Amino acid sequence: MQDTVTTSALLDPSHSSVSTQDNSSTGGHTSSTSPQLSKPSITPVPAKSRNPHPRANIRRMRRIIAEDPEWSLAIVPLLTELCIQHIIRNFQKNPILKQMLPEHQQKVLNHLSPDLPLAVTANLIDSENYWLRCCMHRWPVCHVAHHGGSWKRMFFERHLENLLKHFIPGTTDPAVILDLLPLCRNYVRRVHVDQFLPPVQLPAQLRPGDQSDSGSEGEMEEPTVDHYQLGDLVAGLSHLEELDLVYDVKDCGMNFEWNLFLFTYRDCLSLAAAIKACHTLKIFKLTRSKVDDDKARIIIRSLLDHPVLEELDLSQNLIGDRGARGAAKLLSHSRLRVLNLANNQVRAPGAQSLAHALAHNTNLISLNLRLNCIEDEGGQALAHALQTNKCLTTLHLGGNELSEPTATLLSQVLAINTTLTSINLSCNHIGLDGGKQLLEGMSDNKTLLEFDLRLSDVAQESEYLIGQALYANREAARQRALNPSHFMSTITANGPENSVG
Amino acid sequence: MNPPGSLEALDPNVDEHLSTQILAPSVHSDNSQERIQARRLRIAARLEARRREALGEYLDGKKESEEDQSKSYKQKEESRLKLAKLLLCGTELVTNIQVAIDIREIHRRVEEEEIKRQRIEKLENEVKTSQDKFDEITSKWEEGKQKRIPQELWEMLNTQQLHCAGLLEDKNKLISELQQELKTKDDQYVKDLKKQSDDICLLLERMEEQVKNVMKTFREELYNIEKAFEVERQELLASNKKKWEQALQAHNAKELEYLNNRMKKVEDYEKQLNRQRIWDCEEYNMIKIKLEQDVQVLKKRDEESTVIKSQQKRKINRLHDILNNLRSKYAKQIKQFQEENQSLTSDYKRLVMQFKELQKAMRHFALIDDEKFWEIWLMNEEEAKDLIARAFDVDRIIHTHHLGLPWAAPDFWFLNNVGPISQQPQKSATQIVEEMLMRSEEEEAEEAAAEPESYLDLPKQISEKTTKRILMLLCDESGFLIESKLLSLLLPLEQNECYLLRLDAIFSALGIESEDDLYKLVNFFLKYRAHRLSSSLQIKPCSQASMEKASMEETSTRSELELAEQTEMEGEKEESLVEGEKEEEEETPPSPWVIHPNDVLKILEAFVMGLKKPRDSRAPLRVQKNVRDNSKDSEYWQALTTVIPSSKQNLWDALYTALEKYHLVLTQRAKLLLENSSLEQQNTELQALLQQYLNSKINSELQVPPTQVLRVPTK
Repeated sequence: MQDTVTTSALLDPSHSSVSTQDNSSTGGHTSSTSPQLSKPSITPVPAKSRNPHPRANIRRMRRIIAEDPEWSLAIVPLLTELCIQHIIRNFQKNPILKQMLPEHQQKVLNHLSPDLPLAVTANLIDSENYWLRCCMHRWPVCHVAHHGGSWKRMFFERHLENLLKHFIPGTTDPAVILDLLPLCRNYVRRVHVDQFLPPVQLPAQLRPGDQSDSGSEGEMEEPTVDHYQLGDLVAGLSHLEELDLVYDVKDCGMNFEWNLFLFTYRDCLSLAAAIKACHTLKIFKLTRSKVDDDKARIIIRSLLDHPVLEELDLSQNLIGDRGARGAAKLLSHSRLRVLNLANNQVRAPGAQSLAHALAHNTNLISLNLRLNCIEDEGGQALAHALQTNKCLTTLHLGGNELSEPTATLLSQVLAINTTLTSINLSCNHIGLDGGKQLLEGMSDNKTLLEFDLRLSDVAQESEYLIGQALYANREAARQRALNPSHFMSTITANGPENSVG
Repeated sequence: MNPPGSLEALDPNVDEHLSTQILAPSVHSDNSQERIQARRLRIAARLEARRREALGEYLDGKKESEEDQSKSYKQKEESRLKLAKLLLCGTELVTNIQVAIDIREIHRRVEEEEIKRQRIEKLENEVKTSQDKFDEITSKWEEGKQKRIPQELWEMLNTQQLHCAGLLEDKNKLISELQQELKTKDDQYVKDLKKQSDDICLLLERMEEQVKNVMKTFREELYNIEKAFEVERQELLASNKKKWEQALQAHNAKELEYLNNRMKKVEDYEKQLNRQRIWDCEEYNMIKIKLEQDVQVLKKRDEESTVIKSQQKRKINRLHDILNNLRSKYAKQIKQFQEENQSLTSDYKRLVMQFKELQKAMRHFALIDDEKFWEIWLMNEEEAKDLIARAFDVDRIIHTHHLGLPWAAPDFWFLNNVGPISQQPQKSATQIVEEMLMRSEEEEAEEAAAEPESYLDLPKQISEKTTKRILMLLCDESGFLIESKLLSLLLPLEQNECYLLRLDAIFSALGIESEDDLYKLVNFFLKYRAHRLSSSLQIKPCSQASMEKASMEETSTRSELELAEQTEMEGEKEESLVEGEKEEEEETPPSPWVIHPNDVLKILEAFVMGLKKPRDSRAPLRVQKNVRDNSKDSEYWQALTTVIPSSKQNLWDALYTALEKYHLVLTQRAKLLLENSSLEQQNTELQALLQQYLNSKINSELQVPPTQVLRVPTK
């Protein structure tokens, strides 16, 4: 190389200063026999190369060589192209995006790496395309529809969820989540966490081989198994609308201990404070978390008079009548539209209090009491309430030990009520007579679209006829949806004919 | 469901339909309004039918609609119903599992509750019995304490031990039972887990199956619907094709008819055309002959015109030549005139120069003449005055000596007069400036020539250059005093003229008219500067005031001078000289370029303020003559001649004659006196001679001296 430099300097003294660097860049080409063919398209300046053999140089300078069909001079990329590539390469250190023209922005975004630190990208990039790539890069399965159709939102929500799921109190640095807060606060609307890890227990670590009696050890230890306190996080997320929590541990395997699954009082209190402070919350779900009456009441008390809460889901817990009473109070002190208490331990008194609240409620449209044990007393109370209620559309009373008296009352409700569209009475003991009465009630109803009576000891015939009536109702509803203007006239015109059928 | 009923229901509907169709406006009608009406009715009917069918009338509706509803629509409805059913069934099938699990869970709960209740009962019973046993044992301890005999005590202790062992055994049995139960529960739990996983598998299977089914049926139905649409389309195509063919046939027939008509017409037209052509041919021939004649005429005319044209061309050429000649002549003449002009201008310049020189000379001579005139005048006057004085002396002598009368000197105005009678005309400021500029011009031209005689009565200490510079400065700085119109006019002029005119304007604005004013101004400038210099050493603020004071003083002295000047012209020069000397004593002449241009305006302001007062008093005296008035000269001289009046001359004449006589007498007397004196002289001479002779030695030698003989007269 040194030789070539000197010779070139001798041959071409005017360009000696330039020739050193040029030679260094083009040295590879001169050594190979057919450099122009193997040359990658990125090498920018072949035309400027200057080497000691001017003849080869001339060949290099030519843009077209007729005898060599594969030869074509790599076109020097545009300066904008070079700049964009440079920006992409140095985006982490020097993020430039908003100053550029839209088409250049697009180009940059298409080539940015999804591994860039969030601190750089979070508040700078709004392009859905980029976040789509980030999501695809990170998770194999992505349901963007679960995140409001926004890839950016999805990325941050899942990222946050991931952090929360693997947060171990006392071990993980809380700054991990709090640092993310300023970056994701504008994008996260839904927090869905289905596992909260308890703090690591020291004795278990001291004697890792002794797994058999670790349970007794844990009991001796006066366990402090509080989980991650959501207060700071919830307060920081300014657009949070949905909170879906399960205090549970997944994949514990043979390390199973009962106290892994504790939803402690302190957890409950901090959660209650957090949701009370969050005025944007619309949906709150706390399922499979062993919430008993006291904890349910603590949470419900914090939700009283909440400005925007619409849906409360406390299914798969241990809530009894007192908790149900609390929920009933909440019904009259909030704008709750959906209440789910499925698979709890609500009995007749709880159902009665709920019915009392429901009687004059104008917000609730869906009530789910599946797999409770409200029995006929509770069922009758609810049926009475439905005679005055003009709002509820969906009612699920499956698996509640209901029987004929409730069915009798419900049939009366069916004849009167025009808002209910779906009732579920499956897994009860309605009985044959109850089924007949319900069929009678159905004959006067024009609005009910779904009525589930499976495994409730109803005669097949009445079930079939009820199904026919439901079908007619569905058709009518469809017609109404197709041309709402004829709704009234068709109802009046087809009233008598339908009764014949 | 009920075919006969539906058929019954069908008939009136059909009738109704037919009737409406008959009455209703046709879609194929010619009237557009009617067509619109028809379409509207059709849409309404379709909607009605659809609604009826949707509302459960499908049994009737299907057949009814067969007439007016398409196959595709039917297919769609069928598919929809089928799919809805499928979905419903599928969902039911899937959810059945959930329901089954629910009910199982309920049963489990019920059983669990039952078992729990039993267990609690059992435990309670157990507690009760064991408590009884325990009570029994504890009561026996009391008994045992009363036992004295060891044998009995031992027995009792044995029995107690047995009882305790029994109690423990019971408890252990219960514990083992419960443990057994727990184990079975564990097994149950494992079984349940397995069952649930099976259920989930089943659920997944069913869901997949459901999805598959639904997809399959959806595809099928889609295919069916497409097929139906296809068939309908084919039918439509066929019917339309038929219609199209019919229309085409009709069209063809009509076209044929039209073609025939056209052929006929074509023939007609051809005939007509032929006729027309013949007629046109004749006409054409006629016109042709006529036109040929015209052509002949025109050709002749053309020839004529070509001749004229050539003539014209020649003429043009000639004229061109003339024009060229004239042009060259013109150019020559221009050159000539230019030369002439040049020579004339040079002549003119020379003449102007000459004229200027002449003027200069004239001015010079005028001045010299003036001076000479002055001198001559003075000489003459002196002579006259001498004469007059002599006359007066004579008169006085005559009066006093000869007449013995007292003599009074006659008092005439002209006796006191010295120099030419006319008042010295004051030059205007502009004139002076002009002169000065002219002179400076000359100076520039002459460069190192001897210092020109200063016929301007400038104050001594102010050199001409200084004045000029000050004026230049003034001119440059106070341009605002000049009217803008004038400025524009001044632009093309020569520098000196320009300055002159400018200064003129400035002077008129400042109110400077006379020479004196100009010098005052110049002096003022110089003084101001001197003050500045001196005051800069002293206290600054007093400079203005002191300057004001100085200017006031100056103006006051000036005004005094002015008065003096009015009274006696002669004095002015001396006065100014004196003043100049005085000033010279006070200050050395400062150079004007030390005056800062910025101060010029201040100085001017002060000057104008100062100038105002004296000017008011002097205003009426402004009128002055420029040309010398020599009307009084003769009078003056005449008066000088008549200093001695005629009466006195008469007196003198008489006296003269008398004196003449007296003179005569006196001359005679003088003659006599002379004679007398000569005689006396002779006498003395003779006496001397005698003496001489007497005193000679010869006498002594003589015996008898004559002296003794003679009496010598002694004096």
